Amino acid sequence: MRLIAVRFRVPIAIAIAIAIAIAIAVTVLAIVAAANVRQGIALSIAFDLAVACVVVMSVPGLKASHPVVSRAALTLLGLDIAIFLTYFFSSSTNFNLATGAAMSIVLLGLSFLTGASGQISLGNGAFMGVGAFAMAIWANHHSSTPIVLTLLIAVMCGALVGLLLGLPATRLRGPYLAGMTFAFAVAFTFILSSFSSWTGGDSGLQLPTAAIAPRWLDGFFQAGTSPLKTTTLYITDVAIVVAGVAFFFMANLFASRTGRSMRLIRDNDVAAELVGVSLPRTRVVAFIVSSAYAALGGALLTLIDNSVSPQTYSFALSVTILSLIVIGGIGTISGALIGGVIYAFSTNFISWITTQTGLNPQGNLASQLNGIIFGGLLIVTMLFAPFGITGAARLLWHRLRTRSAR
Amino acid sequence: MDPFLTSRVVTDILGGLTNGVTYGLLALSLVLIWRSTGILNFAQGAMPMFATYLGFALLSYHFGYWPCVVACVIAALIIGGLTERLLVRRLYGKPEINPIVVMVGFLIVLEAVAAAIWSSTPRSLPSPFSSIHWQLAGKPFALSPFTVYEIVTALVVMLAVAALFRFTNLGLQLRASALAPEVSRLLGVRVGRLLTLGWMLSTAVGVITAILVSANFFSGLTPTVMDGIFAYGFIAAAIGGLESPVGAITAGVVLGVVNQFVIDFVNQNAVIIIALGILVVSLMVRPSGVFTKSSQRRV
Repeated sequence: MRLIAVRFRVPIAIAIAIAIAIAIAVTVLAIVAAANVRQGIALSIAFDLAVACVVVMSVPGLKASHPVVSRAALTLLGLDIAIFLTYFFSSSTNFNLATGAAMSIVLLGLSFLTGASGQISLGNGAFMGVGAFAMAIWANHHSSTPIVLTLLIAVMCGALVGLLLGLPATRLRGPYLAGMTFAFAVAFTFILSSFSSWTGGDSGLQLPTAAIAPRWLDGFFQAGTSPLKTTTLYITDVAIVVAGVAFFFMANLFASRTGRSMRLIRDNDVAAELVGVSLPRTRVVAFIVSSAYAALGGALLTLIDNSVSPQTYSFALSVTILSLIVIGGIGTISGALIGGVIYAFSTNFISWITTQTGLNPQGNLASQLNGIIFGGLLIVTMLFAPFGITGAARLLWHRLRTRSAR
Repeated sequence: MDPFLTSRVVTDILGGLTNGVTYGLLALSLVLIWRSTGILNFAQGAMPMFATYLGFALLSYHFGYWPCVVACVIAALIIGGLTERLLVRRLYGKPEINPIVVMVGFLIVLEAVAAAIWSSTPRSLPSPFSSIHWQLAGKPFALSPFTVYEIVTALVVMLAVAALFRFTNLGLQLRASALAPEVSRLLGVRVGRLLTLGWMLSTAVGVITAILVSANFFSGLTPTVMDGIFAYGFIAAAIGGLESPVGAITAGVVLGVVNQFVIDFVNQNAVIIIALGILVVSLMVRPSGVFTKSSQRRV
């Protein structure tokens, strides 16, 4: 049976009036209910922003006429809800979320590369490492540089290395990019130890100062009493905001002219060349974007951990990245988000399995569980649901809709 | 005696040759799979590693070296065949990233399972020949009985593969089903069966590499013993051209020698970095490999 869709066509003026009324009510309620004025203001900003975003998004036809505005509203709403929730989570959950946010940026880059050019990189763990070490090295030599600028420098380093490797590999057909990035991922730890005077050798680097909230934001992050909790909350929210900005840019890039020509290359490179898309150039650009995103994720991870260690950026990390995006849904934006969430809680999940099954935590099997589960999921997903959770959900949604329409 | 034979350059060349033949063998096994199924097999190091563990499990039943080697080859044939039948067969005609992802997953699973069963501590394998280097006039010579065995075995395997492809009916069928599967099928070649055979053969070539590498006195057999060999093997195959067996072997041997010079004159860390640099440069200069004739792409 067909569902009857009722569309409310409230004049926009009335809608805005109602929204403002709700917002005022929420603000008053929040300030009254909150423990102090600062928290009250924070709460009311959060609620009002959410209301505003929902209002903007519900403007009919906005998605078609102003897609950028629509995406911005969606991003803001997501950020708003996520940051609001971080106030209620424990420090360890927040720490996991921050790592997941950093990882989701890396996943987004890889998803874009595959979704755009049909090629795959096995070296994104190493590109993450480029960003992470660039961040740490710069921060140690120029500790006065603002965080945002250091992050940007790390991103540029990642893009540069991406250009260097992508230039030869993306000109080729076949699995050369995968193979070359694989070689890079294997070589990366050796590269790090070759420049040990810069990278700190086996022990890695520490950031000179921990990331603390600027003074004008100070009060908003005093969620608990302990300073550790405050720092974690701040860094988590920073990571979430950076990830939100990265997702916003990527969503626009996917929909842009560049993004469309990239999808054309993936689907039919001959046709793309015929309509005048430069194959090598577009592929190299896709690869550079992917490396830059990986570097941003890595730099963010350094900021979260406050240190960087070369052991983190082994080939195993590249494989983890690949597994996460394949499980989430390669070539999609939501797949990166899902993969990030999975990563955030994967360590907890695996130790949960270890305790549930009564394995010896120091035993051989328990220490290899990560590889067995992720490797196995990689195979199973690729064989039976090549577009991961996102693809499966889309298929299910499509079936439900066609069934109800019939 | 002759100081030339114990000089630094000769020592490096011969030592590099010993490593180079293992790279060449692995590159050859990669090329075999690439030519027949168009898949770059990322588990090409891990599958032989697993077979080596299985084969040398016979050691605990007091079997000697040679029965274990035979067992390894049998295990490799079985693993290669099963992999093709159960995993790879589902991937023909899919986008090119699908087989890459699945084989990377397989690599991880095999290494994790091997470490879970046999632990990641290196296990030393018996060696049929001494690894103590010969002495020439009081100076160590680059070769030992074991390295000679290594080089000779590799050469024999390479020649055997070449002979199989060139002189036998089976080799002709293998080549035909790789080049023109449809036509071969029409002419009565059992293409599916031959693809399985190709994977079995390639894993068997791989297991010879794994046996030679893990009998090395320094490394021993570990779940990740083949990672480095795979990396160099791939680099060699890509430089020589994934289409060309001769190119892959030659590039492997040359890469081995170059690596030895880098170890001797620069340092250990620089080896993979320089190999990566060579790969980048060679792909820029000759995108389809040094040894392949470039061919027109059909649309």
